[in-house]
Amino acid sequence: MAVRSSSYTTERGPVAPSLNITPLIDVVFLIIIFFMLVSNLVGEEALPMVLPDLQDPATAELVDDNRVVVNLAPEAESERVPSADDAHLRAPGYADVLSVGPRRFAPRNVEDVQAYLQATVDARPDAPVLLRADGALYYEAVSPVLDAMARAGVSDVKLVAYLPEDQR
Amino acid sequence: MPATPSPPDPAGYSGPERRIGHRPNPRVRRKRRSSATGRSELGLTSMIDVIFQLLIYFVVTANFMIGEGVLDAALPAGPPEPVLPEDALAPLFIDLEPDGSVGVLIRVDETQPVTGFADLHAYLWESLDDPEAKPGLGLFPPHTPVIIRPAGRVRWQHVVDAFNAVVRARYTNVSFARPDAL
Repeated sequence: MAVRSSSYTTERGPVAPSLNITPLIDVVFLIIIFFMLVSNLVGEEALPMVLPDLQDPATAELVDDNRVVVNLAPEAESERVPSADDAHLRAPGYADVLSVGPRRFAPRNVEDVQAYLQATVDARPDAPVLLRADGALYYEAVSPVLDAMARAGVSDVKLVAYLPEDQR
Repeated sequence: MPATPSPPDPAGYSGPERRIGHRPNPRVRRKRRSSATGRSELGLTSMIDVIFQLLIYFVVTANFMIGEGVLDAALPAGPPEPVLPEDALAPLFIDLEPDGSVGVLIRVDETQPVTGFADLHAYLWESLDDPEAKPGLGLFPPHTPVIIRPAGRVRWQHVVDAFNAVVRARYTNVSFARPDAL
């Protein structure tokens, strides 16, 4: 006596098994949209640079997404990577790029940076301000930006550097 | 007796074929076969290929500031408050000067040279007077003002390294001098 499997047989006869991939496509589309949006938003904040690579760093991971990022970097170049002999510090010591969030400024235009930061801090008083400055910059290139931040009323500044090796 | 013309067949069979009963019109046959199967399929394979390529592209190019951390540095938010002389602590200065290359020369309190940031941290930790943090007596309580005075041509890497060494040694009142203050 033949046993009919209800999964693969109908009254009309056997049917070919098929895979329902509609939910898979839905999820993949959602993931694509997520990455498209996030890569645009984060790309404006995280300009490429070589951050200070500290000896035994006390840096902590920042989990708060509500933040204002100030970027200060020499001309973008992809070849430099942190090295033990500090060779990555042999780069121009003055900034070519200065940005606050998505807004770009002329590198030495700290007055406009101060005004923009002041407006940003007034609108988002709880947002910490991150200073992402390239480790190769001279202190005299970074100090005016620190001054502008202080004059803009920014008190909660966080200096961005690499995390310890075991947390990267 | 003349033959009377037959009426057109709604299924598409024409005269002789209808009479014979086989050889139907090919168009009609095709239509019947597809309706018997009852399914039209959409080729999704190429679309899925493209979607996965897009997904991989965005996953690879997305930059989440991975591996980056922060050091807290509170800036003065307003004019400095007056400090009574009996409460005032003498500040501890850390001077940084370029060594002519990409290195840095470090001096603590204008006299004590240290050879690196590990030594700077060790010196500051030994000098700390905080019974809650470590046993023994030290020279400086944790709220001693520590002022980092980098020269203008010192790299930001070394400035943050000095700041990191001070913070790790548990000093709480750390500030940066302007580059022309040295």
